[in-house]
Amino acid sequence: MGKLDDILELIKEGARTSKEIAERLEISAEEVEGIIKILESLGYVEKIEIGESCGSCPLKKICLGSCIIFKGNIYQMKK
Amino acid sequence: MNECHDLKYISKNKKQGLRVIALAGNPNVGKTTIFNGLTGLRQHVGNWPGVTVEKKEGILKYHDKEFLVIDLPGTYSLTASSIDELIARNFLLGSNADVVVDIVDSSSLMRNLFLTMEIFEMGIKNVIIALNKIDIAKKRGISFDVKKMEKVIGVPVIPTNAKSGEGVEELKAMISGMAEGKATTNPITPIYDEPIEQEIGHISGVLSETPLAQWYNVRWLAIKLLTRDQEVIKLVLNYLGPKKMDEILIHISELERYYKHPLDIVIANQKYEFIDKLMHQFVIHFGEVHETFSDCMDKILTHPLYGIFTLLGVFYLLFKFVFTIGTPLQEFLDNTFVSFGQLIAPHIGNETLRGLIVNGIIGGVGSVLSFFPLVFLLFVAMSILEDSGYMARAATVMEKIMRIFGLPGKSFIPMVLAFGCNVPAIMSTRTLEDERDRILTMLVNPLVPCSARMVVITFLTGVFFSKHKALVAVGIYAISLFLALLSALILGKFVIKGEESPFVMELPEYAIPSWKIALIHSWERSKEFLRKAGTVILFGSIAIWYLSSYPQAMGSGLSYAEKLGKVFEPFTMLMGLDWKAAVSLIFGIIAKENVIATYGVIYGIGENEEALIMLMRVAMTSLQAFVLALVTTLYIPCIATIGAIRAEGGNKWATVAVIYNLLLSSIIGVLVYNIGLFLGL
Repeated sequence: MGKLDDILELIKEGARTSKEIAERLEISAEEVEGIIKILESLGYVEKIEIGESCGSCPLKKICLGSCIIFKGNIYQMKK
Repeated sequence: MNECHDLKYISKNKKQGLRVIALAGNPNVGKTTIFNGLTGLRQHVGNWPGVTVEKKEGILKYHDKEFLVIDLPGTYSLTASSIDELIARNFLLGSNADVVVDIVDSSSLMRNLFLTMEIFEMGIKNVIIALNKIDIAKKRGISFDVKKMEKVIGVPVIPTNAKSGEGVEELKAMISGMAEGKATTNPITPIYDEPIEQEIGHISGVLSETPLAQWYNVRWLAIKLLTRDQEVIKLVLNYLGPKKMDEILIHISELERYYKHPLDIVIANQKYEFIDKLMHQFVIHFGEVHETFSDCMDKILTHPLYGIFTLLGVFYLLFKFVFTIGTPLQEFLDNTFVSFGQLIAPHIGNETLRGLIVNGIIGGVGSVLSFFPLVFLLFVAMSILEDSGYMARAATVMEKIMRIFGLPGKSFIPMVLAFGCNVPAIMSTRTLEDERDRILTMLVNPLVPCSARMVVITFLTGVFFSKHKALVAVGIYAISLFLALLSALILGKFVIKGEESPFVMELPEYAIPSWKIALIHSWERSKEFLRKAGTVILFGSIAIWYLSSYPQAMGSGLSYAEKLGKVFEPFTMLMGLDWKAAVSLIFGIIAKENVIATYGVIYGIGENEEALIMLMRVAMTSLQAFVLALVTTLYIPCIATIGAIRAEGGNKWATVAVIYNLLLSSIIGVLVYNIGLFLGL
């Protein structure tokens, strides 16, 4: 169909990083990331919110401290 | 307000006759910098009506004229799927802006023009494109024929570099001219496949006969109906009635069957391809897609095989770093607590009070607190790995392994978080929509060694494996992780079955970590360790001291601790662990560090730290210490973790977690001990 649909299919098939998708579609990782953002605004994927520091973490009130901070963005497919 | 205007937001300023300039664009394109460049300090920040989304307004003074500049929320499209998109869309629909400045990131033009096309499809003509971040585009080897771009797109294009102020004066001049009607535009709009165009034409024809045609661009309304935009469906229903609306929806369903996809993705795809073709007319160089340093590194670090070896190597070095620098500091703290205990002991006349303070508090809390340098250094190392971008790669490798073992891919977030603490890790399973995924992740999560268990592992490997402590520590981590994966495979196959839910990650660029940030983060995290030592471990140590001193001192065989330990000893002896280990494991359920605190109290570290190590070496073999470290890592989760599982999964799964961990640790403990004995270890 098109790049947006191809990316959705690759995510469903198990491609896990934008670089992996970029290699398979022979486009740049930046373009993949741009398309993912369009897919997010269309409601096909949603960003998983993970705190980038203890201060901004939504779990800080219940956290016993010392969690690992994951840098990077994660988008999950909406069902 | 007329009913027909219910999609629109009408600005008060518009009513007052002040000319309005709206700034639209994707997030992070430099919109705020351009807003500041246009308005200077003449700004006001408030909220959009009825919502808590920030609304920034400012006055642009150009020669003797004034304009009100409104910064719209950053969006990637105008589909109304988020409050930001709805605000931007309704503002633009309300014809509030005399001029719309669409700020696009020239280094990622494709996705930026997607929004531009959506603005054009609304029928808005007074648009200026600010081709921002032109410096970054140049660096990437991307160049444009701006004149050609203006011709192709149909609106003025001003290259800008908001940071340096380049192009801002030209932009002001263009805004002023367009607001006064001196600029004519002819924005291009996407053309879709024939079946879609036919349906757009059909719906537009129907809508043209309604009053909606006076207030909205009917082509835009038709496209939005095709994409099943709920806001637009509601609006149109008011004017067409249910019968005509049903006819339109039937046509839409037929088209969806034809394309075998929902029309929103079909239209988005075709819009994207349309932009792609447009760009080939005015982009001179797209920039070379060459392998960056980051790409080369990723090929190794996220490789299914090399990635695993690198991960193991990195964790070995991490422990080596922690032990090499941390052990002398830990020994120094140990000696300090011992000296302190010896210093104050003669000054406390009351024997009970002396026992409580020296053996109970200093012995218990001190033995745990002496590990602060190791915990702090672990967090420093973790922070460095996070800031360098490696942790995200490690997560990718872990995710690949987890998938083989049937763990849902998204579980890697809670699994990575668990290395710090299982409580937030279990709480973060909320990100997993699927019930099966959530439960499965929650059950195996406590098998990932948290920082509290790291203290116990460090202590026991430090005492019994002085030469190869880092290797043994990594080994215990590896066994625990393998068992977590194996458990996921078994539980996933036989207990909790379900479907995989896909996701994708954007890995951060590699970066040189900042020591300052690493130290700040590590302190933030380590503070909790100190707080815990002052609360849970303090009370635990007092309780252990009481139980080991009453009704008669330990050694008599009559202390509560000995009695309690002896009850469980027949069972723990199957894995070579005596009553002291049994007691320490029981207290470890409150907080895992209590395993060490218990030994500190039982052997009286407050009086002689060297004696603790010597006594432990006499009382325990290396094999038994290894089994104790492994069992501590695998057995019943701490109370806080059980509470978290209960809160997230209910009593049933909290009970399953406790029983499963107990069974698993017992089986592994017995197996490892007996295999070790068989091998003569």
